[in-house]
Amino acid sequence: MTICDRNSSPEEIENAVDTWLDAHWDSDRRCAKGDSSYDEATWLKTVFEAGFCVPTWPTEWFGLGLRQKQARIIEKAFAKCKAPGHSRDRFHLGAITVFKVGSDELKRAMLPTLLTGPICCLLYSEPNAGSDLAGVRTKAIPDGDEFVITGQKIWTSNAQEAEYGMLLSRTDWDVPKHRGITFFLFPMKQDGVEVKPINQITGESEFNEVFITEARVPASHIIGNLNEGWTSFQTAIAYERLIMGQGITERQGKSKADSEPQLIRLARKYDKYDDPAVRQKIAQALAYRELNNLNMERAKEEILKNGSSSLMSLGKLAMSRIQHGEAAIATDLMGNEALLDGEESLDAANVNFDAAKAYMNSIGGGTDQIQKNIIAERVLNLPKGPDLDRNTAFRDVKSS
Amino acid sequence: MSQISDNDRQALRDGFARFLETNANEEKLRQGIASERGYDEGIWGQMAAMGLLGIAVPEDLGGIGGGAVDVALVAEEIGKKLLPVPYVSTCVVAAELIARFAPVSVQRELLPKISGGTLVVSVGGAGDCIPYADDENSLSATHGNDGWAVSGDVSYVPHGGHADYHLLGTMENGSQALYLISASENVSVSPMTSNDPAQRLSRLHLTDAKAVKLEGLAPSGLGQASMRSIAAAAAEQAGAARAIFDITMEYLRTRYQFGRPIGSFQAMKHMAAELLVEVESATSAALTAARMIDAGSVDAAKFVALAAFTCKDAFRAVSAQAIQMHGGIAYTEEHIAHLYWRRARASIPLFGHSDHYREQYLKAREAAL
Ligand SMILES: Cc1cc2nc3c(=O)[nH]c(=O)nc-3n(C[C@H](O)[C@H](O)[C@H](O)COP(=O)(O)OP(=O)(O)OC[C@H]3O[C@@H](n4cnc5c(N)ncnc54)[C@H](O)[C@@H]3O)c2cc1C
Repeated sequence: MTICDRNSSPEEIENAVDTWLDAHWDSDRRCAKGDSSYDEATWLKTVFEAGFCVPTWPTEWFGLGLRQKQARIIEKAFAKCKAPGHSRDRFHLGAITVFKVGSDELKRAMLPTLLTGPICCLLYSEPNAGSDLAGVRTKAIPDGDEFVITGQKIWTSNAQEAEYGMLLSRTDWDVPKHRGITFFLFPMKQDGVEVKPINQITGESEFNEVFITEARVPASHIIGNLNEGWTSFQTAIAYERLIMGQGITERQGKSKADSEPQLIRLARKYDKYDDPAVRQKIAQALAYRELNNLNMERAKEEILKNGSSSLMSLGKLAMSRIQHGEAAIATDLMGNEALLDGEESLDAANVNFDAAKAYMNSIGGGTDQIQKNIIAERVLNLPKGPDLDRNTAFRDVKSS
Repeated sequence: MSQISDNDRQALRDGFARFLETNANEEKLRQGIASERGYDEGIWGQMAAMGLLGIAVPEDLGGIGGGAVDVALVAEEIGKKLLPVPYVSTCVVAAELIARFAPVSVQRELLPKISGGTLVVSVGGAGDCIPYADDENSLSATHGNDGWAVSGDVSYVPHGGHADYHLLGTMENGSQALYLISASENVSVSPMTSNDPAQRLSRLHLTDAKAVKLEGLAPSGLGQASMRSIAAAAAEQAGAARAIFDITMEYLRTRYQFGRPIGSFQAMKHMAAELLVEVESATSAALTAARMIDAGSVDAAKFVALAAFTCKDAFRAVSAQAIQMHGGIAYTEEHIAHLYWRRARASIPLFGHSDHYREQYLKAREAAL
């Protein structure tokens, strides 16, 4: 029996999820009812079995078959009592990609594992394949019903926690670069996988180098088809950019209209809020954020109507201007205080962190420059520039 | 709330867009500009026949009782083709104000003519709802035996030269007053040379011109009329920004240098991608403002302010870059780009500058906290 379905009214869904949470989640202790501390694996399994993990997916694929709007109700209810594990159909890139382009066999075998485990890491970038991702050199060599993987990945966020990663590898060196790539769901916890954290400008160490030496992955873990990995990968990267374009990777819920924007708070605190020049800058910054939200809303309307929307590809680029811009204004507002950091000034620590973190949006997931190329070529239909390696067998392509 | 169904609205827009495709090409635009009124009267008559001029006019007064979204769709198409018709001033500002505040007899007389395309009203002076506010105007009104009379000078009145009526605003003891004046002998009009050749700005000189005073200017009604006017102008600008952007993209695909289309150069691509964000933001802002007005949302004023500066800033940026991206060809009078650019420049002070609306927007955001 499912708790609610496509025909449930918003009130019914809200009731169902509240009742369920009441019975299963202890909001005070932030753990499952009856437990004394949070046990992630067990809790995720409980959410998964109720279908709240991926509510918009069909019931035969672990979901409830709900519409996006209905799913938002569940998301809100979970967020309200700070219960984890919901909305993985929005945020779990690995599961989403397997669900969308994986074989039924792979979906059946792996989705329950993915959905009840940590999020997947993205084993894309390499020292010599950044913006030019189709130039990956990590080798995948068939061996019986497995492939043997050797190569180096870099900038891999969350590689330490991840149990699986989506891996771009080369399986054919004698064809042009886009045509010899295979996309795998790759098990991280095995011999031959070494993860070394990298210190970031934010002070965090989220991303890592990943050295892979003769590690193994079953052939059944190919996402899509052999040598057609570039196509499957498009689904994953499009989703990642979509998420970034909605500001979901940001530190706090900055997009909310009713909470006091950080810039207003800082301007008041540092006594600059009456300065008309400052007010203009703040108004424009808030407007950019609101306009991006409106564009994304319009994109959703267009998708409902026509099945797709080119507006979606603008979000990530717009978000870069928003994040870098807000951090710059905040820095200016604080005067000398912005020189400080850490315990010395919490405001400064936050703003300095945001100023650095903004690069995650403008570099990660494809730089702003690459985004602009994509918008120009795919949305505006401007002609591609000459690619020196498009028709060359990858074996013969020059690299730095 | 609009009396028009979703299907009818779509049909209205499509019909108008199709009509403009064949009847509002660049040649017609230039012919209109060279003519006395600045626009093609045939197109104005056709718009009346399609019912477009009476969207904001109530049904029982010869209009179709549409909402802000309906007006926005028409304004957007007008903007795309740069039609220099007096749509916003006559069919939105004047129609809204007359329908709300004029004596019933005046409504009965004038509104059906506005819908029918036989009456143009120019709007000038000071206060809300005035396209080009002229705070230096010397208008003053006196009440005598046969009603109100207005004297003085007012500048920057669009379409002043060929209007049948003038709707003039003054500030009296800090509040808005509005007078409706027939273009009689007591109003003399001198043209003001305008940077946008499609604009016919005028200076009016009034000597005891007989006037009807609009009474009971309730702030809420004035606010509504003003929001609708600003939203219509914003939609026009959003449409114009998109059109000159599309013209530019087409050029980028077809002009060759160095043996390849100039649109294949990354410098061009990156400018184009950045401008697309502005164009789409303008469309979203204009549409949202109109929808919020129709929904009677408490956020309507906020979204109107957002649309006001977003659309004019986008139009300004896109039309300016369009000339750069075309190169020398767009530095010629013959090319259409400068007409968009001039209209964008003419939009800068229209209903107030962007800075003013950014401030309004921030105030509205604070109020919502
Ligand atoms: C916070 C963060 C998290 C990340 N997480 C992950 C992750 O989990 N997994 C993963 O695989 N990767 C991850 N990345 C890597 C990220 O995807 C790459 O850094 C990015 O794609 C750019 O590649 P690169 O660093 O090699 O720069 P390069 O490709 O060397 O680019 C250097 C400069 O050249 C410009 N450039 C390159 N090519 C072009 C072109 N064709 N046109 C115009 N300009 C160009 C770029 O815009 C950039 O300014 C992360 C990066 C960051 C910052």
